[in-house]
Amino acid sequence: MIMLPSFVPDAFISMYLPAIYAGLIIGFIATMAIAMKKEELHILILTDLVGLAMIFVVSAVGTDLAEALILPGLVVELAETLAISEILITREMRKIEQDPRKNLTKSSSIFPQPFSLDMEIMTTAPNFIALVLIGYGIFLTGFTGGAVAGGGIVLYALSKKARGLPVLMVDGIAGVSGIAWCLWIIGFLMFFVTPQYWLLSLFLAACGLLLKVASKVGLIGLLMREDIDKE
Amino acid sequence: MNMDFITLGGELLGVIQFGDIVLYLTPLNLFLFAVLLGFTFLIAISKTETQVEATMHHLDNTEVKVSPKEFKQRRFLSIICGIASAGAMITGDLFNFTLFMALVGILNIGIVSAVKQTSVLNSAFNYGLIAMMCSLPLFGGAALILASTGTLSLEVLSQMPASPMVVFGAILMLIGILGESGVAPFFASKAEMFRTAGSPFIVIIHLSSLFIIVRAVEILLLVLW
Repeated sequence: MIMLPSFVPDAFISMYLPAIYAGLIIGFIATMAIAMKKEELHILILTDLVGLAMIFVVSAVGTDLAEALILPGLVVELAETLAISEILITREMRKIEQDPRKNLTKSSSIFPQPFSLDMEIMTTAPNFIALVLIGYGIFLTGFTGGAVAGGGIVLYALSKKARGLPVLMVDGIAGVSGIAWCLWIIGFLMFFVTPQYWLLSLFLAACGLLLKVASKVGLIGLLMREDIDKE
Repeated sequence: MNMDFITLGGELLGVIQFGDIVLYLTPLNLFLFAVLLGFTFLIAISKTETQVEATMHHLDNTEVKVSPKEFKQRRFLSIICGIASAGAMITGDLFNFTLFMALVGILNIGIVSAVKQTSVLNSAFNYGLIAMMCSLPLFGGAALILASTGTLSLEVLSQMPASPMVVFGAILMLIGILGESGVAPFFASKAEMFRTAGSPFIVIIHLSSLFIIVRAVEILLLVLW
């Protein structure tokens, strides 16, 4: 029994079963890879692949109810990955605590050896790529645009070697994020209160979301770099 | 409300409608819900045990205690875990059940994430991997049932004849639930997770998966009816 609105093209309907099979096959291949790998970090990354296959299967349905399944599914995947990696780190710390000498000769798989690359392209190219990404993100607007622009900021932050981020800058980014949130809420309210200004409210919401996501992703990148540089 | 809504949990006592989401009350669901809430309350007011381990080659005992910070974190996670399991008992929506199931899976890992024993962390890691892998059949099965019936409400699903797609989806969901709650073929790593101090909080790991399996059987039978 299939209930479909008449305006859904046949091409989309025929895509459903192949998408399901593709998702299940990806999951199968990923589990086979997990069975063959011995390094725990690799297993963790491969497990994430199974999670992506899950998103595949769920998104194949393509209705708004399915979208309601995808978002929690993504969040659950993320939370589980974080929790498991936290456990892995705790365990390695505990092992090092119990036997500090053991780690001197053999490096563990979680903390890879630091390496330094001294190449000219590492300092010049990221600036340009970051600029292009931010520009393209602004052009896109909305959630996608925010993610792209945020990616640009992260790239810039990661490529810069300067250490010690001033507190003012973190506060500033948080402030921008707050203002963007207000823009988004005002835009959202205007949709309902004054529907005739829908274009204005759409742009308010889109720009708010762009700033919000971009600043958030950028902040994550900056904090991450701080964490890495801390030694 | 249709009169021919077959419930396995006894006589239908009532229906609470929140738009799409329909809660239905049967004696079985209410009993499971009340027991879990009661247990969660007991956990919220209780203190942890202290394990005593015999020391090798000495006439001495060592205490395995839980630090106050860890105690607070564990209590919080256990209470959330209890509430999530209670929610899974009373929900009338396949999608909500799936989410509660996944939430219980994460919280189970979280409760033991800060312990000191390496063996417990090892098994928690293995259990976490299984739980993550089983989110594919769990969510995938729910999505398959949604795709082939157009609804996730158990009330509507129980009145539909089961097509082959629904049966396949239900089997996938069963695999997902088994892995996510760590029973039957996957219990090996989960059984090791209990072997640490902090008894009442550790017990919720066990209890939540037991209760969820009971509820999952009811739900799957309703879907396949």
